[in-house]
Amino acid sequence: MRLSVIDEEVGWQRLDRRMLLVHPVKEIGRFIVPLIVFVVFGRSSSDGGLWGLAALGFPVVLGLLRYVTTTYRISDGRIELRHGLLNKQVLSTPLDRVRTVDLTASPIHRLLGLVTVRIGTGSSSSKGDERLILDGLTQTAAEQLRGTLLHVSSSADPEADSGAGAEARARVVLRLDPSWVRFAPLTTSGLVIAGAALGFVTQAMHTFAVSPHVNTDELARAGLALLIVGGVLSVLVVLCVLAVAGYVVTNFGFVLSHTKSDGSWHLRRGLFTTRETSLDDARVSGVTIGEPIGLRLARGGRLSAIVTGLGKKQAGSSLLVPPAPRTEVDRVAVEVLHFSAPVFGELRRHGPRAVRRRWTRALVPAAAVAAVCVFLTFAVSGWFTLGAPLALVVGVALALDRTRGLGHALVDGHLVARSGSLDRRREALAAPSIIGWNLRATWFQRRAGLTDLTATTAGGRQRVRVLDIPHDDGVALARTAQPGLLDQFLL
Amino acid sequence: MELRQPSERVSPRARLMWFCTDAVRAAVLMAFLVMTSGPWDWWTIPAWVLVLLGTVLLAFAVLVPQWRYLVHRWEVTDTAVYTQTGWWARERRIAPMSRVQTVDHREGAISRLFGLATVRVTTASSAGALTIEGLDRARALAIVDNLTRMADSVPGDAT
Repeated sequence: MRLSVIDEEVGWQRLDRRMLLVHPVKEIGRFIVPLIVFVVFGRSSSDGGLWGLAALGFPVVLGLLRYVTTTYRISDGRIELRHGLLNKQVLSTPLDRVRTVDLTASPIHRLLGLVTVRIGTGSSSSKGDERLILDGLTQTAAEQLRGTLLHVSSSADPEADSGAGAEARARVVLRLDPSWVRFAPLTTSGLVIAGAALGFVTQAMHTFAVSPHVNTDELARAGLALLIVGGVLSVLVVLCVLAVAGYVVTNFGFVLSHTKSDGSWHLRRGLFTTRETSLDDARVSGVTIGEPIGLRLARGGRLSAIVTGLGKKQAGSSLLVPPAPRTEVDRVAVEVLHFSAPVFGELRRHGPRAVRRRWTRALVPAAAVAAVCVFLTFAVSGWFTLGAPLALVVGVALALDRTRGLGHALVDGHLVARSGSLDRRREALAAPSIIGWNLRATWFQRRAGLTDLTATTAGGRQRVRVLDIPHDDGVALARTAQPGLLDQFLL
Repeated sequence: MELRQPSERVSPRARLMWFCTDAVRAAVLMAFLVMTSGPWDWWTIPAWVLVLLGTVLLAFAVLVPQWRYLVHRWEVTDTAVYTQTGWWARERRIAPMSRVQTVDHREGAISRLFGLATVRVTTASSAGALTIEGLDRARALAIVDNLTRMADSVPGDAT
């Protein structure tokens, strides 16, 4: 009875009917462990077949209910989604709060011609069930919806038609070059994938009580040195292969384009699960140029947008350029910001006291490691002697590189900050998007007259930090970036 | 060019509250160490280490709240909220009134014993929340009222 009431209200729409095929499969996936338990235990009892059927039926019914109870509508300038059988929930957001629209399609969705629509709003709510997700619309319906949503929020040209028409006028800014896959092994993603894989394999081996059989005599004959070299090499090869595979799976067919008519950026990528993200121009408040050491040495980098309303968790949605040559990264960054100075401009240095701090912070831990190595040389083995100079060399290199990287600027209305060595970033944030300032200084920093100035913002990593800026410069910088705010608190 | 400190201090009772939290935490840690260092012979902590650690933790619990009290300050003006917190690392946070999203009033179990409350002002950035700890309860409620009214009167969506 209740359901018919819902249907009679104006404008409420169901998701696509084909989701009836997707939901049960997904629910079975979620209930896979209890299902197996049911089937295994069911076999021992006499009416096991019945139990098994009931166990299989439960997720299917749940999936059907999910479809029946989920409805959405656009009315009175709001998009509303309601779902839930027992805990009824209505999510509602004004259309002008919509920042991003994300269309993803898992392989099963693609098979049926469906996409999942994720609507990013300004709220920083991290709870999954409080985000607007329409799971299951046809490709065309989703594109139309996206057109509607972004139109209203950008209010650029209400007469221009949405959907396929707008798509046609898109100007392609970046298309993935297959040769860029060479940058994949230089990122840390290979390590992450390898770590996950290793964890999974050892877990599985543990579960099934498999222990690798090792013949120690043979090992000794093969020569320990050869074995170590071989081991290291094969680990490296595996890491490279995994990194390349990961790069291809996520970035296959990467296209970044800009549509003038509705004023938004579109990016599309993915091998198995395809993903299309649309970012409203007005919500792109800055960029982050990531140049971790591996990429930097190969003259590469990556670029992500700082999008108001997209938090850290959805960082994948705002990646504008995957690991690629630095020239491409810079070109796209300039296109996004409309200015070149924040990308190429010289940065202001932080002075000798900040440099000294880089040196102490790099050398003190290095010296500690070296001391431990010296101790171990006498206590355990002579091999540790090598560790001491190595630690010091690494420390010096880090200090030099971090010193070289440190800098800030305020040009063309953007706050630009760069710092770090292993994970160096150059961030440019439009001054109007700064929504607060944090000035943090430890006792050491206060003594040196330095401070960490943080501009907070509602997108990306939620902040841009200017590390160890001379205190007076920091206050002056914040004052210039946001006139009027700090004046009342000056001495 | 130098920022001045925010004008208002937190309640003097906050020192006692911080002392109690630190002391309880230290007591729990010491109790754990004393109890675990007995039964197994491969894990014994010499008595002098325990005494030294206990003394350091006690000194910490006595001195740090005093230091905190000197640092923790706050100020609300027509256009901004300004706080200063910390002791070893001092952090000043400034948020324009137009960017304030929520104003929370919190009373934890320990702070309620002392009639104290915490006011938390959030902005759209998760890195930008301002927290004023150890306020007198009545004062905290007044601040929340005042801030909510002021933040509401500014138009815009606070991003």
